[in-house]
Amino acid sequence: MSISSLAELSELTPRDALGKALVELGSMYKDVVVVTADVGEATRAKYFGDRYPDRYFNVGIAEQDMLGVAAGLALTGFRVYAVAFAMFLMRAWEQVRNSIVRMNIPVKIVGTHAGFSDAYDGASHQCLEDIALMRILPNMTVIVPADAPEVYRAVIESAELKTPCYIRVGRDYTRNITHTLDYEFKIGKAVVIEDGTDVAIFTTGMTLWIALEAYNILKDMGYDPAVVHFHTVTPLDVHTVEEYARKTGAIVTIEEHLVRGGFGSLIAETVVQTYAVPMIMVGAYGFGRSARSPEELYRYYGIEPNEVALRAIELIKLRKK
Amino acid sequence: MFKEDSRTVSPGRSVRMTISKCLRTISEKARTYLLLIALYNPGVHLGSALSVIEILTALYGSGRVSFLKGDIDRNWLILSKGHAVHAVYAIAAAMGYLSWSELRNSGTIGSPLQNHPELGTPGVDVAAGSLGQGVSMSVGIALGLRMRGLRNRRVYVIIGDGELDEGQTWEAFTTAAHYGLTNWIPIIDYNKIQLDGKIDDVKRKGDLRKRFEALGYQVVEVDGHDIDSILAVLEDVESSDKMSVIIAHTVRGKGVPVLENTNRQRMLREEILQVLKERML
Repeated sequence: MSISSLAELSELTPRDALGKALVELGSMYKDVVVVTADVGEATRAKYFGDRYPDRYFNVGIAEQDMLGVAAGLALTGFRVYAVAFAMFLMRAWEQVRNSIVRMNIPVKIVGTHAGFSDAYDGASHQCLEDIALMRILPNMTVIVPADAPEVYRAVIESAELKTPCYIRVGRDYTRNITHTLDYEFKIGKAVVIEDGTDVAIFTTGMTLWIALEAYNILKDMGYDPAVVHFHTVTPLDVHTVEEYARKTGAIVTIEEHLVRGGFGSLIAETVVQTYAVPMIMVGAYGFGRSARSPEELYRYYGIEPNEVALRAIELIKLRKK
Repeated sequence: MFKEDSRTVSPGRSVRMTISKCLRTISEKARTYLLLIALYNPGVHLGSALSVIEILTALYGSGRVSFLKGDIDRNWLILSKGHAVHAVYAIAAAMGYLSWSELRNSGTIGSPLQNHPELGTPGVDVAAGSLGQGVSMSVGIALGLRMRGLRNRRVYVIIGDGELDEGQTWEAFTTAAHYGLTNWIPIIDYNKIQLDGKIDDVKRKGDLRKRFEALGYQVVEVDGHDIDSILAVLEDVESSDKMSVIIAHTVRGKGVPVLENTNRQRMLREEILQVLKERML
């Protein structure tokens, strides 16, 4: 896909990017099938259904059944995307484990409305646990795109995966930036956006812009930070993690997710087994709330540029002692 | 072994009787094998496995499904009540597909014959063990076969009566009904016992016939230990253009008096040896 078409994607929301990617996949592969659970409209899976009604199934409000049906369709040779809200896919975690991952069936599970993106609906709908729950499963690929253009790329690239995968997508909130960056989107490969030696800011998902603004603050203050974006959480790019642990000696992680068990935990698990450095994890520590926008919720948990920059400076000072 | 379809002449009465006798022999042999496995393997759920021996013998023995997995273009079998998988192993041995040493080693780390169906388990098509999930997977397979235009291929799924407590089974029954999957053939192993006791003491199941009929299924009831009746019902259901549920009335622990109609799954070694002696005489 050319960068000019990525620029067209820059106007999209994450879920619209998902819908358009599914339609594109429908024309690229005759064996792509989409299943959903009464959220065809809300997830934009219906874009695919409108175009390819014979390859689109809505099982009603039944996420557990949806994942089993997806597994069965995949066993008969179809490339299956199971699309629903991230939060309510998690009620079917055991179906993900026993009906899909245990048999290593390459079903692509797409969870929308993840993180704080569904700000209005409050704690019941704001899924802050999915990265943790999905990343611990053997053979599971977990992709957490940074914005709408990257959602599009991730969904397209996932079609060739031979493992089960989980793609984390938001709703409408996004600050689209990846279309302006020059990098090859390769599943499993971290993207070094800024190189530096004082501290490494590791981010996954929609918090990429926060990392970049924190970078600017730190630069202005005379520090030399690095920013690395991990669109793929598992399999983790451990070489890049270790490289930046060695190079900077201090890591700040940012995620729109619980730090317990999430991306920050994963990086900590990795560095203590490769090259241990002090870390600070920025993310959520409890449930969400109803709010007017995701950014209000980011502020509620201190997931914002100033906070990241301050925490990074604490780390740099600690390291220099 | 024997499979009837529209291209072959239906076997005459004497051939049918021979087939029927042959399948009965297989099922009794399988019962013995099952008890023998339980002498070595502590993970056998005897009560549940004995309950489904005739249903499985009818399916494998009539050639509807095979122990040898082929490509997508075939009939499929999902044992959603995966804890009864030793019945499959025992029948496979009775039909000559597995050796005694393979059976004896079942449930060991290195054996492909795990104590619940896994990927690679001979004879069954999906990993099972977590109740309710095989039902949804079988619906997906039936949908997939239909999309591929394999209209005369069928998916048989064996579901426990206790398993119907899992909400997911009803999600799957409604999905299959919604998409009108006539190539999907659910068989309820209705032995009226689940882990903690009689099914209605644990949790009321209601009128199963009416529950299925309310979703638009035709319900066929059959003696789940009478292979001839099972085969007749399968033929009826397969030739029908309606969606069907087969309720097979069974006895948990069938053929072993100390287990029959109880929630016991296991026996002491001495008990097994005693039953085997009686069976061998």
